[in-house]
Amino acid sequence: MIWGAWLCLFAPLGGAIAITVAGERISRTAAGWISTLSVFAGFAGALVSFVSTLGRDAADREQLSTAWSWLAAGDFRVGLQILVDPLALTMMLVVTGVGGLIVWYSIGYMHGEDEERRYFATMALFVFSMLMLVQGGNLLLLLVGWGLVGLASYLLIGFYHERPEAVAAAKKAFVMNAVGDAAMALGFFLLIAKVGSLDFGRVFEAAQGGGLSSTTLNLVALGLLAGAVAKSAQIPLHTWLPDAMEGPTPVSALIHAATMVTAGVYLIVRTHPVFEAAPGVQHLAAIIGAVTLLVAGFVALVQWDMKRVIAYSTMSQIGYMFLAAGVGAYGFAMFHLVTHAFFKALMFLAAGIVIHRLDGEQDIRKMGGLRRTMPFTWITFLVGTLALVGIPPLAGFWSKDAILSAALATGGALGWFLFAAGILGAFLTGMYALRLYLMVFEGEPAARDAHAGGHAAHGRGEGPRSMLIPVGALAALSAVGGLINVPGAWRTFEHWIGEVAVQLVEPSVAQDYGTSAVAVLVGVAGALVARRAFTQGRELVTMPGARTVLEHKLYFDELYDAVFARPAQIVADRLREDVETPVVQGSLTEIGAGTRAAAAGVARLQTGLLRTYALTIAASVVVLVVVFLAVR
Amino acid sequence: MLGPGVPWYLAVSGVLFAIGATGVLLRRSPLIVLLSLEIMLNASNLALVGFSRLLGAVDGQVFAIGVMAVAAAEVTVGLGLIVAFARRDMELDVDALTELRG
Repeated sequence: MIWGAWLCLFAPLGGAIAITVAGERISRTAAGWISTLSVFAGFAGALVSFVSTLGRDAADREQLSTAWSWLAAGDFRVGLQILVDPLALTMMLVVTGVGGLIVWYSIGYMHGEDEERRYFATMALFVFSMLMLVQGGNLLLLLVGWGLVGLASYLLIGFYHERPEAVAAAKKAFVMNAVGDAAMALGFFLLIAKVGSLDFGRVFEAAQGGGLSSTTLNLVALGLLAGAVAKSAQIPLHTWLPDAMEGPTPVSALIHAATMVTAGVYLIVRTHPVFEAAPGVQHLAAIIGAVTLLVAGFVALVQWDMKRVIAYSTMSQIGYMFLAAGVGAYGFAMFHLVTHAFFKALMFLAAGIVIHRLDGEQDIRKMGGLRRTMPFTWITFLVGTLALVGIPPLAGFWSKDAILSAALATGGALGWFLFAAGILGAFLTGMYALRLYLMVFEGEPAARDAHAGGHAAHGRGEGPRSMLIPVGALAALSAVGGLINVPGAWRTFEHWIGEVAVQLVEPSVAQDYGTSAVAVLVGVAGALVARRAFTQGRELVTMPGARTVLEHKLYFDELYDAVFARPAQIVADRLREDVETPVVQGSLTEIGAGTRAAAAGVARLQTGLLRTYALTIAASVVVLVVVFLAVR
Repeated sequence: MLGPGVPWYLAVSGVLFAIGATGVLLRRSPLIVLLSLEIMLNASNLALVGFSRLLGAVDGQVFAIGVMAVAAAEVTVGLGLIVAFARRDMELDVDALTELRG
């Protein structure tokens, strides 16, 4: 039933508009509830759509619905159309389901903030944008959603606009994403020129049918990949993600766990025929993912900010998804996307409870021993951590191992490289995840000076119910969410996605079980290393040189500053001094002065002496008469 | 056709026009300037009517009536201005009235 999908798309937009229009007439809490309910209404729509799709034949699960055609130029037509297929439905359910829980949680978390209404309106707008992205029935609508997501994330990351860091982070995220968006738009222009359409069907047909040159295909795929890399914070366009932690914690959970950063993975899976026609670019995606998951894993080892550790972990996990999509294991990429949305949102929200409790403290050196005072947060965060590390039977175990086995099944040098990177990444994951968990929840409470006393007075409360229920729900999902796809038993999810994007690699049962065992062992080993370091009271990375490099996040910011920002600044200064001031500004002044001088000259003729005018006219008439007579 | 021919009318018209133009150019009183303008307009009217007779068409006569109407309107405005000047005790001299110069 297609109306469910339309409801899913427009309910959050309705919520955003309602909150904006109502303004001060509704209370802040009411704004929170409108936002939450609008997203959950979207979830209901997605569920209706999902259930009705389940009732169809596997071959008949794709529905395209066009509201109207809003852009037509010659043969080129684009309509407001939505596509509902298993892939879109998966994203719709995750975005509205996890998103709804996060917005709900925000009611408690944001309570008492200034400008709560703006917050909730923007959250709903963000969910709408993300839905537009995943439901868009053609590439142009996808790009519209893509851009709107960038805008909404800009607004949310910069929510604390009185803090300069937040504003800078918002701008950084926006600009980095704009780079990707521009590359993507260029790819689309190329498609319009060569195919004459942005419909998924026609584009994929052209890509697969061999009607396009390999250069075109490679360029289009590169454009798409650049967009995906920017949105998903993969190297080299990743530097915005850690900074984006300046936004409120639920925003981090929404944008950086469940929705926006996974859009890149969705894009690759959605446009997989283009990538399959340009295998070089697709492998590049896998390599980018592998490099990102390693770099992010290493950097996460030395971060002190609780949210930044989780942010780097997100980058790393999305690296896994890119790896999977890059080798053509689309089902596994989406599988990890779903489970990651569960456990990463859980970790962010649980971290939010901690941060909320500690009055905004995010430095893990000032935490510790919270296990005793915050049992609920402790157990849920532990579930999230273990799911992240990949301990069976929690969600992350199933999805991450599937990706590793797919890398192994790819074979060849590439496959082995990806597999090795993935395994090393799993080791790093175990290390940084346990380090974070141990420093926050175990050991002795750090001397939190004034804070400690203040919080003792708060009692054992860990937050209002509106915060605890969503966290509990996410913990449950993180625990059992992985069971939707179990190798050797059932592969429901893989087949579900396979209706849209057929997997290119299919690991054998032996590879499945083998990698599972290896990955668990490696993850546990990483965790044990972290535990030993913790009990001995030392850091994980002790080499001073390596430590400095990691603390500077491999100098990416510094590099970009030197390569892009500073030269641009210099060029801009030169242009201003040498071109704008003398040429543009100078010529404008000249034109003004010239006009004024000419006017003064003409004004002198205007004497006000009536008889002079009369004489001039008479004389002119005489001259004209003479001329006419002479000409005749 | 009885009476003088069209060239005579045109000659009178030319003389009248010259007299009017001289008056406009040489006299300084705005009243006389207006009078001279009227003479010029009437010289034109005379030429129009003369040509009208010559060609046996009434167009010229209709134009002449149009010119008279415009002349009347112009004189009304001109006299109004002159009365306004007189009320403000300003010199009635077109050379002195240069307030509107650029």
